[in-house]
Amino acid sequence: MSAEQHNAPRKVTLNILRYNPQDENDIPRLQACDIEEADGMTLFIALNEIREHQDPTLQFDFVCRAGICGSCAMMVNGSPRLACRTLVKELPQVSTLTPLPFFELIGDLSVNTGKWMRGMSERLETWLHGVEENVDLRKIEARMTPEEADAVYEMDRCVECGCCVAACGTAQMRPDFVGAVGMGKIARFRLDPRDTRNDDDYFEVIGDDTGVFGCMSLLACHDVCPKSLPLKTQIAFLRRKMALIG
Amino acid sequence: MKTIITDVLIIGGGLAGLRTAIGAKRRGHEVIVLSLVPPKRSHSAAAQGGMQASLANVVKGQGDCEDIHFEDTVRGSDWGADQIVARMFVNTAPKAVRELAAWGTPWSRVKGGDRTVIINGQKVTITERMEAEGLIAQRDFGGTKKWRTCYVSDGTGHAMLFTTSDQAIANGIAVHERTEALSLIHDGERCYGAVVRNLITGELTAYLAKATAIATGGAGRLYRVTTNAVICEGMGHALALETGVAALGNMEAVQFHPTGIFPAGILVTEGCRGDGGLLRDVEGHRFMPDYEPEKKELASRDVVSRRMEEHIRKGMGASSRFGEHLWLDITLLGRQHIEHNLREVKEICQYFLGIDPAEKWIPVRPAQHYTMGGVRTRPTGESPYLKGLFAAGEAACWDLHGFNRLGGNSVAETVVAGMIVGERIADFCDRPENNIAAPIHLAREFVQREEAKLQALLTSSGTENAFKLCTEMQEIMTRCVGIFRTADDLQDGVSHLQRLLQKSRDIGLCGKSWGSNPELVAAYRIRRMLKLALTIAYGAYQRTESRGAHFREDFPARNDKDWLKRTLAFWPTQDTEATLPHLDYEPLEVKRMELPPGWRGYGTKNHIDHPDTQARQFEVERIRSAIQGKGGDRHQLQEALMPYLDQLPAALQGRNERLDEPLENQA
Amino acid sequence: MSESVFIAQAGLAECPRKRRLPARLDLLQSGSGLILALFMWGHMFFVASILLGETAMWSITRMFEGYFFLGGSQPRLVSGVVAGVLLVFVLHALLALRKFPISFRQLQTMRAHVKAMRHEDSTLWIWQVYTGFALFFLASAHLYQMLVWPQNIGPYASADRMWSDGLWPFYLLMLLAVELHGGIGLYRLTMKWGWPNASRELLKKLKWALTAFFLILGLATLGAYMKIGFEHRAHYGERYQPEHLPTWLEHLAPQGDFAPPSERAPTPIHPLERQP
Repeated sequence: MSAEQHNAPRKVTLNILRYNPQDENDIPRLQACDIEEADGMTLFIALNEIREHQDPTLQFDFVCRAGICGSCAMMVNGSPRLACRTLVKELPQVSTLTPLPFFELIGDLSVNTGKWMRGMSERLETWLHGVEENVDLRKIEARMTPEEADAVYEMDRCVECGCCVAACGTAQMRPDFVGAVGMGKIARFRLDPRDTRNDDDYFEVIGDDTGVFGCMSLLACHDVCPKSLPLKTQIAFLRRKMALIG
Repeated sequence: MKTIITDVLIIGGGLAGLRTAIGAKRRGHEVIVLSLVPPKRSHSAAAQGGMQASLANVVKGQGDCEDIHFEDTVRGSDWGADQIVARMFVNTAPKAVRELAAWGTPWSRVKGGDRTVIINGQKVTITERMEAEGLIAQRDFGGTKKWRTCYVSDGTGHAMLFTTSDQAIANGIAVHERTEALSLIHDGERCYGAVVRNLITGELTAYLAKATAIATGGAGRLYRVTTNAVICEGMGHALALETGVAALGNMEAVQFHPTGIFPAGILVTEGCRGDGGLLRDVEGHRFMPDYEPEKKELASRDVVSRRMEEHIRKGMGASSRFGEHLWLDITLLGRQHIEHNLREVKEICQYFLGIDPAEKWIPVRPAQHYTMGGVRTRPTGESPYLKGLFAAGEAACWDLHGFNRLGGNSVAETVVAGMIVGERIADFCDRPENNIAAPIHLAREFVQREEAKLQALLTSSGTENAFKLCTEMQEIMTRCVGIFRTADDLQDGVSHLQRLLQKSRDIGLCGKSWGSNPELVAAYRIRRMLKLALTIAYGAYQRTESRGAHFREDFPARNDKDWLKRTLAFWPTQDTEATLPHLDYEPLEVKRMELPPGWRGYGTKNHIDHPDTQARQFEVERIRSAIQGKGGDRHQLQEALMPYLDQLPAALQGRNERLDEPLENQA
Repeated sequence: MSESVFIAQAGLAECPRKRRLPARLDLLQSGSGLILALFMWGHMFFVASILLGETAMWSITRMFEGYFFLGGSQPRLVSGVVAGVLLVFVLHALLALRKFPISFRQLQTMRAHVKAMRHEDSTLWIWQVYTGFALFFLASAHLYQMLVWPQNIGPYASADRMWSDGLWPFYLLMLLAVELHGGIGLYRLTMKWGWPNASRELLKKLKWALTAFFLILGLATLGAYMKIGFEHRAHYGERYQPEHLPTWLEHLAPQGDFAPPSERAPTPIHPLERQP
């Protein structure tokens, strides 16, 4: 038996923001929840334990609980992270959990990122353009170099968790800002040889102060991205291309 | 009462639901998709390794075609699959990959020339054909004769889901996020839509539609250790079951994935083994060749999982404070490969285990992974019992997977089913006789019934706790209805679950909010989950044979003589006190099988033949020699053995082009 | 009024294609910032010449006034340069305004965001806002002064301004504001437009090193002027006149200015150089 097994488990306090915007009388407050740390305990496990044993009304979102789906982004001690892959042992003894700012609050730690993402997607038209209505599916697929495919996938790994937008200073001041997620998507389709749009078309959707020219390069998006997307490079690249159009 | 009327209502916003929606929408029907979560968060995104389609681009896939994919699938299913559906599937899978390629999925591509790969623990240099350069690449997966699994690094499901979801947005398909269907509106013969709860406001709405499709994925959360997302609670299965009319098929067929990380159960892809990773025991010994000399780590999942548990039982597991486990070794693949082709695996190891898989072995143990059972449908996706009700993907049992699904066949099934069922739903809606006069009265009745149930829960003075019941159920399922099953365990499990179901009628809540209320959600779901758990456990208890993932220690042989049939489960809704489903069986006709039952090529060779098997084998041989004697090609042979093309929508009937099979040479 | 005004009033200015203006404004903001930052660094080296002695500073000042090329000092040359800088400054300030918090609420949100996030680059940005805001006033005042009284630059004139006119706190504040603002701004420019293959960590270290260097240089310079101003307080208003210059420079000076004292003509005092 290792020495650590003899140690009493650490007690951790989570100060969790509680607020139900649907209840007119509710006031935002931090609720302290004490839990006993267990081996390998993530915030997914901790929050579920709190809900099951302390407060069944606590609202939060998890889906895959494996860091893949992007549902569980929240502010952990002021910075956005995926809660499911945040190990409690990495947190200080007292930590604060609050919902992502910027997005519509559903209640407690739950925010409506999906609604915003769909709106962003419709606004920026983040889908492959030039798809033929009737592709002859019997035929061998169009070729693409392995390098092109890898470059597209690099940007395609975005999970739309909203961390970049929550971390973005510009977004805090400009509710119409498309965020790194929006610019990253445009970068993704721009890299894709199958997309028939050109830089003029991309300029139409991100060539203003709600897009690349609103971005102030604070780079918090790059620093917090759970998928480590190369946002810094891609946004700078996009800005140069868009400035050429302008 | 709020009522929304549409042509097609799709419950579930994962790959199957979205692809079905696109199909119906493109044919001119108004579609609404209901989704518990934003669709891009669906569990489809968690599929890592890839999607099977016999493109035969890579050199190790050369010679692959629909026939081999078909045989692999049927053998994988342990002959439980509907072979017509399997044929439809293998012919459509290449089209599905190519459609996604045209829609934007960044499939990993072939690089011509030499490359080093790991096969059977050895470094081998293989030379990709230059003429294949830039085509979609394939990797090796379990239970397949050829390298057939198309992939996007190890984020295949994610990339496919995002592509499909983006196309759904491009097609203007409405997705009502954070909504949950509570019950299907039906009159016992026809389905008219669903009663839907808004998970934010709690509001109930009646959605009325000509066609309603269930595409809600699996029910992994019935188990404690599962790779499934927390939303995979089988609520779509339950919707159908609770009609009392529609049937669930083969619910006892539950797949356990060999490599869930221990103890969290998070999946690491089969691609790890496909790319050359090995399973090792406490002594570091590679044990799979001892059990499965031919396929080794790459036998089908049911076999590998069973062999792993068997090895642990022999005391060869590594122990930790959480229990026993084995090791998955991918260090031999090299850092470059891991950081390039297994990035998600690397992240998972880093964040959840704190290890670098390029340096250290990954602790793994089989975990619940896939629900082969589902809403029983015809090959069109429509329920034979409730008109207007369709199902697709993991929630459906049109029966592609039988008793064990092959790795890489699930995301493939989602899009293939979407392509087929989407067309069939459009056909259905096009037929004037399927028009409905919106049954507002019926809808009101159903909404009021659900409202009453929710009110009763909120005002109940019951003492049972929904979360606790759920944990108990998961424990029982993991303990009694797991990889190894016995009559005693199953009986014990069934009676436990029955007691829990009774208890669940006495749940009391702390929070009384009608709106967003996680406790209320847990309370109404647990009742449904218990019914599903009971169909699984009871079905497993009744099935006194071993087939695919359903393994009875007391009946270790596959018994085609008595059990070459599909389980159908109905819930007796007229009896409010019922705690058991009503089971029925549907035989699989050996006489019509293209591939008659036999040994799978891996696993134990101990099956009991069906009386018709031998005759059919002779018949197949006779047809084969006759066709080959006439110089007929594989397509003619297939057509003679088991015609199926008429079951496919016309647009999907065409043959698939390959480098070695140009279209112009084909008839 | 032109047609475009009415079209813009109808809210249709961006139809069918979006206007190119934001792109140009962003480029202009970056460009004007770059010019100002580079100017500021050069400027710092010139004023820091005082550390090499009064004569060095005097010579550089005179050089900019054309003394060595035009046969006499023309402080208006300095006014001209200042006018140019002022133009760029106003342009930069106008463009930068677009990014400022436009309400107290926005400022509050941003401050809370920066405080809770504890993210260095975001925190730096808030400082850029604060220092930028301060520079609206400080730099404007300074530039105006230099524009109107360009002749009041010199070892004694500048030192008197620091000490006897009591302006050293003004210059101290401006030094801090300008160095922080410019340093952060230049770093931000490299991030914004992407410095090929440069490591961000390295650039950030470089940024801090440069800021520290210029701050130290600036403080030392300020100290030097204050010291001279203190020692010179009794002779307030007197202008510095070097006894002699290095030989190579003396040759450049107008004929006779550095002849032996007996041959030297009395220096006329410029009317504006008399004390106000």
